[in-house]
Amino acid sequence: MIIDKKTQKYDRQLRLWQASGQTALETAKVCLINGTATGCEILKDLVLPGIGSFTVVDGKIVEGSDVGNTFFLVSDSIGTNRAQAVTEFLQELNEDAKGFHFSEDPVALIENQPEYFLQFSIVITTDLPEKPLLKLADTLWNAKIPLVIVRTIGFIGYFRIVLPEHTVVETHPENVIDLRLDVPFPALEQYVNTFNFETLDSMDHAHVPYVVILLKYLKQWKQDHDGKLPSTSAERNEFKQLVQSGRRNVDEENFDEALASVWKACAATKVPHHVEEIFKNSSCDSITIESSNFWIIARAVRDFVSNEGLGLLPLAGNVPDMKADTSNYVAMQNIYRQKAKEDISAVRTRVHDILNSIGRPAEFISDDEIDSFCKHASFIQVIRYRSLQEEYITEPKKLDIGRWLQDPQANIVHYVLIRAMDRFYESHNRYPDAATYFLEDDTEEVSEEAKNEFNTLKTYVDNLLREWEITNYPEHLDNHIHEICRAGSSELANIASLLGGMVSQEVIKLVTKQYIPMNNTVIFDGVRSTSSSYIL
Amino acid sequence: MAEIQMQTDVPTPQDGLEQTNKKCPDRWSHLYKILDRRGPFADPSFTPGHGEEILLNTCKVLVIGAGGLGCEILKNLALSGFKNIEVIDMDTIDLSNLNRQFLFRPSDVGKPKAKVAAEFIMKRATDVKVTYYHGKIQDKDDDYYLGYQLIICGLDSVDARRWINATLVNLVDGEPERIRVLVDGGTEGFKGQARVIIPTITSCYECSLDMLSKQRTFPICTIANTPRLPEHCIEWASVIQWPKERSDIKMDTDEPTHIQWLYETALKRAKEFNITGVTYSLTQGVVKNIIPAIASTNAIIAASCCNEAFKLITNAQPYLNNYMMYTGNEGLYTYTFEHQKKPDCPVCGNERVSMEVSKEITVEDFIEYLQEKQDIQLKKPSLSHANTNEKIYWQSPPFFEQKTRPNLEKKLIEMVKQDDEITVTDTTLPISLQIVISYI
Ligand SMILES: [Zn+2]
Repeated sequence: MIIDKKTQKYDRQLRLWQASGQTALETAKVCLINGTATGCEILKDLVLPGIGSFTVVDGKIVEGSDVGNTFFLVSDSIGTNRAQAVTEFLQELNEDAKGFHFSEDPVALIENQPEYFLQFSIVITTDLPEKPLLKLADTLWNAKIPLVIVRTIGFIGYFRIVLPEHTVVETHPENVIDLRLDVPFPALEQYVNTFNFETLDSMDHAHVPYVVILLKYLKQWKQDHDGKLPSTSAERNEFKQLVQSGRRNVDEENFDEALASVWKACAATKVPHHVEEIFKNSSCDSITIESSNFWIIARAVRDFVSNEGLGLLPLAGNVPDMKADTSNYVAMQNIYRQKAKEDISAVRTRVHDILNSIGRPAEFISDDEIDSFCKHASFIQVIRYRSLQEEYITEPKKLDIGRWLQDPQANIVHYVLIRAMDRFYESHNRYPDAATYFLEDDTEEVSEEAKNEFNTLKTYVDNLLREWEITNYPEHLDNHIHEICRAGSSELANIASLLGGMVSQEVIKLVTKQYIPMNNTVIFDGVRSTSSSYIL
Repeated sequence: MAEIQMQTDVPTPQDGLEQTNKKCPDRWSHLYKILDRRGPFADPSFTPGHGEEILLNTCKVLVIGAGGLGCEILKNLALSGFKNIEVIDMDTIDLSNLNRQFLFRPSDVGKPKAKVAAEFIMKRATDVKVTYYHGKIQDKDDDYYLGYQLIICGLDSVDARRWINATLVNLVDGEPERIRVLVDGGTEGFKGQARVIIPTITSCYECSLDMLSKQRTFPICTIANTPRLPEHCIEWASVIQWPKERSDIKMDTDEPTHIQWLYETALKRAKEFNITGVTYSLTQGVVKNIIPAIASTNAIIAASCCNEAFKLITNAQPYLNNYMMYTGNEGLYTYTFEHQKKPDCPVCGNERVSMEVSKEITVEDFIEYLQEKQDIQLKKPSLSHANTNEKIYWQSPPFFEQKTRPNLEKKLIEMVKQDDEITVTDTTLPISLQIVISYI
């Protein structure tokens, strides 16, 4: 077997999102609005793992300050189109990713031709003012295209994901064990019955899989307790004693494993709460030709649970490693796998019936997709993001913001400042920029203009707080207003790169539909070296 | 940082700087806003307006590692105004590096990382001087490390980090002006951490050894007798079958034909035992102990390290005290906290370690215990009696190893009495540990 060059090149990431994730990445078309330092860093971290294509939309001409904080520019780039200059340098990183540039002012493009952005699978904006941002967000929302809004100012980074709905099957949970110890299925019970502990020699006795040990004693317990499992901690301890009594000597590791799993064994297997909520969703009720594969399979699984699944999700079929001899372990593994196969097959039939009812062919959803859904059924996720309209206009999170702002360590303060900065920009066509902070014993005070800058920005902060009905002004805001004036919309390479990493990671999650993306805003504070997530 | 001494005798790339300033006006305008203006959160010792002299001209920084983190660190430092950088790395470029180590191209495969990275940075950012050393950190002496104001570490090896950490702590030797700050970053898949270590002042790398995730190991009897997982079959191929069948050839996990042999051998065994799941990729992962690595996590951790370096050198903001953990597989979280110094840390602590062991324990078992103990993790411990200096067991030189080998079978209590002290050293680490023994 010869491993091809591409697999070798991407080996370290394929171990995280496998070939399926890589294919999704390679077919994604990402658009970056404004080739800022942060924008380029985001693209760098998407081009390297092999995003399908990237398009930079930017009407600016490269200046000296851009060369200072952007690795994908050189002094010879000064005076050329920024979109083209950064695209050429980014393209060098990976020939698998196709780079395009469009030297057009994005604000004008959004105003005159918003449908331009509908060709992409995801759009990322950096340094885009509020008005065009809201329009772009609307356009993409209606087309269900994810939008990621990114800002960096001085030591602060902010980003927000906007998307009506994101569904994930492969969430990559750390622990996926589902052994059904409380409700063994018939084939598993039969298998346990083949063991007669008394007649086993000491070698075999020390190699009985702990699953068998627990099932054997649970059966005995249930017989003595009206079919009930141990439920209180006293009962669990009593049950532990029972298991312990079967042990021949202290060296039997399989009994150690059994005792360590008593707590898990006594917990009832059931549909997790968050999955029940997903089943209750209206998208699960009304399946139409518009329904996504996720909702079609979810509906099939829901029907499975309330029928042949007897109230349980399809079995995942994984068995963790445990002390056992090979043949017993493999036999037991096959019993779980067989049951998983039967469950999947039942779900598949239901999926095909649903597809038939909406006039789709059976092969519309692949067997692999159904397989994967069934194996991850306990861990599926649906994220409904709030729209930017809701956040900015119709339903701002007034109460939450007011509450969060009371904590001087909370990073929500940066959100308030960013929104105030945007208001400042709206009226001045520039961002606040002045040395407004001074110490009491300073001989030189700050200039009148600088004081004005501080006061103007503070007015916008006050306005926002008033709109949000936040009556008590948090004192610590003043220092952050000073810091924003000091930063003067500067973009530091380190913060740009840090945000580049965070944003690209979330873009990869959205595009591959693997792992769980953040919801919906992350703010990084490079002064305190902390970050926070908020639903705004 | 008051402790950091500025070095003024460093040759500066002045000509390059002037040239670029002419060619590229306003280049540093983003940085100067921060460096020229007082800030409400800045360290009290921060004086605005001195950015250029502090940062651009005089500061020497050492970057250890030119891999996933190293490439990012070098780029970030160059864009943050650092002008004198040295990079050390002993590795050469592999094809599997190219998904994140963005200073390398396919045509660079096989070349030294340190050299290619240094040259690339200088080509792109013309006014920065990056020198390189293609070799081991252990090749360099104390004076070498004293020559830098700051050391940023982006390594994937625990051993190398333990070595540089212990070296920098030992370097201080009671004189605060010999403190060299270590900024350390590490990643694994979607997770990582950045931390600031001020030797002898804050907790050190060794203080936090017990936070490392334990490497997965498989008992030899499982591998030999009762394999259940594909990994067991792969370990069987590499640990048992290779020495048996190919003892004449040294196994090289970078050699595809060797991996191929291991894969086929493991696959045969798996078939025999009805075990599924042996693949070429898994074989490679198990025998090379591959840790997933992606561009995004590296970018986050490296940027955090460089942000701290920038703050440490300029005082423009307070620096991290002292640990930031990052995890990105489920949502996106950081946890920032002050990791506490361990009073009995073998590197920076001044308390002796107390250990309770069985009266029955043999010297050999005691050594194994030291190797496995999560917060100590010695590689090749050598033991002496602290009071009498009598050698209990020495791993090297061979003469002493032979002489002390018979002691391995003895009970520890025969050589070390209750409350006696043992000195433990390790040939692979510059540390010495004092352990007081009590028997139970
Ligand atoms: Zn320490």
